Amino acid sequence: MICGRKKTKRLEWLMMTWLLCMLVLPLAAAESPPVLTVLTWGGAYEASQREAYFNPFTEASGVVIETVHYDGGLTPLREHRQGGAVTWDVVDMVQADAMAACEEGLLEPFNPGLLSAAPDGTPPEQDFIEGAILPCAITHLVFSTVLAFDDRAFAGAKPRSAADFFDLDRFPGKRALRKVPVGLLEWALMSHRVPRQQLYNLLSTRRGFDLAFRQLDQLRDQIVWWESGDQPARWLAEGKVAMASGFNGRFFYAQVMNDAPISIIWDGQLLDYNSWAVLKGTNQRALAERFIEFATRTESMAALANRISYGPARRSALRHVGLHLTSKRPMRPHLPTTEEHMASAINRDHDWYARTTALRERLFRDWLRKHFPEED
Amino acid sequence: MTRQDAQQAAYRIMVVSVVAVVVGTVASLAAIGFVEALHVLNDRLLISPYARIQMDHQPLWVMAATVLVPALGGLLVGIIVRWGVDERRGLTPADAILVVQTRQAPPRLRSGLVSSMAALLSLGSGASVGQYGPLAFLGALLGGVVGRLGLRLKNLRAIAIACGVAAAISTAFNAPIAGLVFAHEVILRHYSLRAFAPVTVAAAIGYVIDNVFFERPPLFRVNFSGIEHSYEFVLFAVEGLLCAGLAVAFIQLLLKSGRLAQRLPVPEWARPALAGLLLGIVALWIPEVLGIGQETLRFATIESAFAVHELALIVVAKLVLTALCIGFGFVGGVFSPALLIGILFGAFYGVVLPLLVPMPLSGQVVYAVCGMMAMASAVIGAPLTTILIVFELTRSYDLTIAAMVAVVFSNLVSYRVMGRSIFDIQLRERGFDLSLGRDKAILGTHPVKDFLSRQFTVARVEERAETVRERLVTERRAEAMLLDSQGCYLGTLHLQDLEAVPEDRPLRMLASTPDVLFHETTTVWESMELLQGFLGEAVPLVAADGRLLGVVPEEAVIRAYLEIIHDLRQEENEAA
Repeated sequence: MICGRKKTKRLEWLMMTWLLCMLVLPLAAAESPPVLTVLTWGGAYEASQREAYFNPFTEASGVVIETVHYDGGLTPLREHRQGGAVTWDVVDMVQADAMAACEEGLLEPFNPGLLSAAPDGTPPEQDFIEGAILPCAITHLVFSTVLAFDDRAFAGAKPRSAADFFDLDRFPGKRALRKVPVGLLEWALMSHRVPRQQLYNLLSTRRGFDLAFRQLDQLRDQIVWWESGDQPARWLAEGKVAMASGFNGRFFYAQVMNDAPISIIWDGQLLDYNSWAVLKGTNQRALAERFIEFATRTESMAALANRISYGPARRSALRHVGLHLTSKRPMRPHLPTTEEHMASAINRDHDWYARTTALRERLFRDWLRKHFPEED
Repeated sequence: MTRQDAQQAAYRIMVVSVVAVVVGTVASLAAIGFVEALHVLNDRLLISPYARIQMDHQPLWVMAATVLVPALGGLLVGIIVRWGVDERRGLTPADAILVVQTRQAPPRLRSGLVSSMAALLSLGSGASVGQYGPLAFLGALLGGVVGRLGLRLKNLRAIAIACGVAAAISTAFNAPIAGLVFAHEVILRHYSLRAFAPVTVAAAIGYVIDNVFFERPPLFRVNFSGIEHSYEFVLFAVEGLLCAGLAVAFIQLLLKSGRLAQRLPVPEWARPALAGLLLGIVALWIPEVLGIGQETLRFATIESAFAVHELALIVVAKLVLTALCIGFGFVGGVFSPALLIGILFGAFYGVVLPLLVPMPLSGQVVYAVCGMMAMASAVIGAPLTTILIVFELTRSYDLTIAAMVAVVFSNLVSYRVMGRSIFDIQLRERGFDLSLGRDKAILGTHPVKDFLSRQFTVARVEERAETVRERLVTERRAEAMLLDSQGCYLGTLHLQDLEAVPEDRPLRMLASTPDVLFHETTTVWESMELLQGFLGEAVPLVAADGRLLGVVPEEAVIRAYLEIIHDLRQEENEAA
């Protein structure tokens, strides 16, 4: 695996710190407060989560939340469980991963009974969006992977579509893309004017994959790979790349908090969902569930959506979304779920994603090996 | 207009409207159900690429399904067609055309339903056959059920059948205008306001159900920025001519494959399984031959999706395997395979053309769409319908104009070479020739027996000539029919032959055998041909066992002709 070594290194490092903490902490405080370890995605997202979920939870319960950086996938979970004692408790993972991890037995079953009702008494089954309650997880947020560009890079015409992302003649410059086979293939086919409804049918044939990878071939000299969610917004702001894929909330955060000249191309936005899950084998399952109950309350979810432009997965929370806390900009136009943005969204096919994980990874790795031998 | 006429007209309009709404709704829902069931089967049986890729980690399963599903599906199809359908073959739009054009009795409802089930199984198990033929037939079948109710209206059956077909096609393509025109161009073959109004209603209902109730996405949106050079129209015309050749080859292959199947020492119920097995084996190398090929259709509009040799290979494989599947008894249509073969050929043409013509062209999409429509229109003999399908599916005026040119040139040639359509050819093979127009077809299916007269003079062999002569004089006839004791016809006795004959001369010696003799199966058309040069009062009509059933006077044949033609003209010119 190309990125595996790096990840393992980071993991090792994290484990070392963790162990060190475990050794030092008992010395520092004889009676330390209970600690819950949450795997989440770092950067602006984690900062918003800390304000909306973690700190209020600590205040209410006295439980300290420690976070471990997580970039998605099942590999870190597998490796952690194989490495001995399970010290991670809660994972904030994308829905497809949660479903795959559940099937693989990496997660504890989820008990929907713990969810609290909406302030007006609507039971959670009706308040959460359809399909949010999963066997091992509860979906709490809608985010989208979008294409964005640096406004300063294109003086005249601005890129407007996924096809423009692949048009190096009209829109020259470096492209930052996430180094995973998610979204890339869909955008490549969209640039061939394949209708959104037919993307996954075409990507079910070898011909479709070949066509998409051939389209990516054209960009290869301009691609810069990102792996951590905070990189694309930073690189756009720094002028390191002209266009990038990334999570919509990160771009929003850079726009409003740092005044970065970044614009989002909503065409071809790839909707996805984040879910809370409890790692199997943790000895703090009850505490983990208490945290999930807290974080999925209407007020908590609305508090997050007023900080970063991710859509809450329960309707009562969506109704509470108003102005951005610091910039006072209205939040709704920045959510991926507005009607206007939904009209050009790719309706992500989770079954297809869940069942093609191995295939996509294999084809992507082969393609990388061919075109980016230095990264192997 | 008298009060009674007005009441009659009001009743007619009401009944026809209700029939249009009922048939339109039922046929449209049936079409949606059929298509949905087909997709479910394709997914469950690992035929659709979407299902196959999800089993990518178990390639042996996918391989086994590729070979076995079409073969076992074929076996099932063969068995239910052999024992479930009276006609012992899949029913097609040709059967609906025959019913409407010649007013024959339609196939039984049970046969029709079993045939539709067989079509669903064929398509579901990946056979290389089309879905639109079975859908049109299903619509016709449902229309026929309502038409059978009678409801004291003339020609209701034809109108109801056309409504069913229009709604089914309108739903399946999400193209109401094409559905409306298809019903007229292919099924009714005339335009009368009385049929036009209800058929339009039915087609509109298909559209409403598709878009309002189910919100099904449009079938085939392509982006096309326009034809850039005027000289390209010549290239479209040439493409049309080439597609006509391809269409003729396709139909020839279909017929040949059917004949080959007859000659093989394999029972008819086992033939589809054989074709399925072959199809599956080829599909291991060329998966595009399996099923309807919605993905392939899309890829053909994308430049660089196929290499040139791949296009040629798939065109040939699809031609041969479709002919094989249909000839060997899978139940299904020819339109979607024709679309696929046409679009791949069009893409091929679009790729090769720049190598031959050193001029800038508008890209592959327009050539692909032209090829698709030129080929398909020649096969089903419906130029107007296909032009409208392009318009409604792509909503692109430029593409429609380009396709129109290709379609027209293709049809000109294919009509000359092989006749109107595959349906007419199928019917001709079964003895119904629609090429000389509907008059002949309908006269050729009405037995002259219907105009039989029992008013004739009988002479028994044992009778004396004088007795018979006297009887003829009293009955004011010039001819008597000579019958033996069983009632078998022996000959005709003419009055002048009975004059002044010796007493003991047996009647048998006096009788003459006429030049013209009708049988139970003799049609009005044949009788008219036979009557040329006939002199006499009436033609005896004899059963297969030789018994005389009656006589047909010359005047009755003329009356039959006039009645039928009058009816037809009336049907074709009726106002609402």
